[in-house]
Amino acid sequence: MLMPRKVKHRKVQRGRLTGQAKGGTTVNFGEYGIQALEPGWITARQIEAARIAMTRHVRRGGKVWIRVFPDKPVTAKPAETRMGSGKGNPEFWVAVVKPGRILFELGGVSEALSRSALERAVQKLPIKARVVARASQEEVEVG
Amino acid sequence: MAEITLAAAPGRVTGSAESRRLRAAGRIPAVVYGHGGEGVAVSVDGRELRHALSGESGTNQLLDLRIAGESQLVLTRMIQRHPVRHTVTHVDFQVVRRDEIVSAEIPVVLVGESEAVKAVRANVEQVLSTLTVRANPTKIPVSVEVDMSRLEPGGVIRVEDLPLPDGVTADVPGDEVVVLASSGELQDGAEASGDGEGASSSEEG
Repeated sequence: MLMPRKVKHRKVQRGRLTGQAKGGTTVNFGEYGIQALEPGWITARQIEAARIAMTRHVRRGGKVWIRVFPDKPVTAKPAETRMGSGKGNPEFWVAVVKPGRILFELGGVSEALSRSALERAVQKLPIKARVVARASQEEVEVG
Repeated sequence: MAEITLAAAPGRVTGSAESRRLRAAGRIPAVVYGHGGEGVAVSVDGRELRHALSGESGTNQLLDLRIAGESQLVLTRMIQRHPVRHTVTHVDFQVVRRDEIVSAEIPVVLVGESEAVKAVRANVEQVLSTLTVRANPTKIPVSVEVDMSRLEPGGVIRVEDLPLPDGVTADVPGDEVVVLASSGELQDGAEASGDGEGASSSEEG
C-alpha cells in the first residue's frame, strides 16, 4: 500500500474540504481516467483496491497511473478507551481529494476495456467519480 | 490556413464577480496581449468561440479578432477551464504577425499497425501526445502523423523520426521518445507472468 517513507509530523489536524481541485484536473498520461466529483478522503487501501480491480480486469497490457498519494495520517483511539490522554495513534493514510481531481489513468488498451476497468475501480472508491477521456477534454465547451 | 473572424468586446470590467456575470450571459472573459503592447481585457461570445476553435486546427486556429472595429491577427494561447465541467472560463489571445515564427502544440497521431509488434503482443506506449513546433502562424500543421508500421518490438520512435512539413521545426530535443514498444510478452517471459499488476506505475499527486 502507498504511504510516505518519512514525515515531518506524525499526526496532523483534519482540515477542511472546501472548493475544487486546483490542479491535476486533466488526463495527462493515459487515454482515460477517473475524475472525482465529490470531496473526500481516499485511503491507501481503497487506492490499492481500485488499482487491483483495474489491473485484474485488463489482465494483459495496459498501464495504470495513480495520480493521488495518501500523505495524510489519520489517527484513532483504541476501542473502549476513556476520552482524554491525548490524541490517538496513526492508523491509516488518506489522500485528500477535491472535485475535479483525476485519481487514476489508464492507457494502452481499447476504449471498451478501459471504460469497464475504470468503472470497476470507481466502485472501490468512497466518493462519486466518473470516467473521462483525454480526447473529450480537448473540446472547447462553453457553459 | 485561413483565419476565422471573431468579434471581441473591449472595456470588460475585470474581477471574479464581473467575470462570473459575463459567463452567465454566455460570454467568455479573455485577454489580448503580444508584441510589447499592454494587455487588453475583452470578452467574446461563447458560441462563436466554440465554433471558431472546433475546426480541423482546433485551438491552433489563426483568428482575426475584431476589437471595436480594429482587426488583429491572434492565436489562442491558454484556455482556462472549469475543473469539473471542463467548460472554458477564460482565454488568452496572443497577437501574431504573418511573417514571424511562433511555437504551437500540435497533436501526435499514431497511424497504422506494426505486424512485428502485434506478433509478439508487445505493449505500445505513446509517451508524447502533443509536440511543440515552431512555425509560421499560417503554416502550423493540424497534426503530425507517426507511421507505426516500422516499429519493432523493443524499439522506439523519436522526435527526429517524425515527418514535419517544410518550415516547421520541432521545439523539443530530437532524441525525445514519441512512441515506444516493449519487447513483447512472447519474448519477455517475466512480463507475461502474474496478473498484470507489474505493469502499473504510480505518479505522486
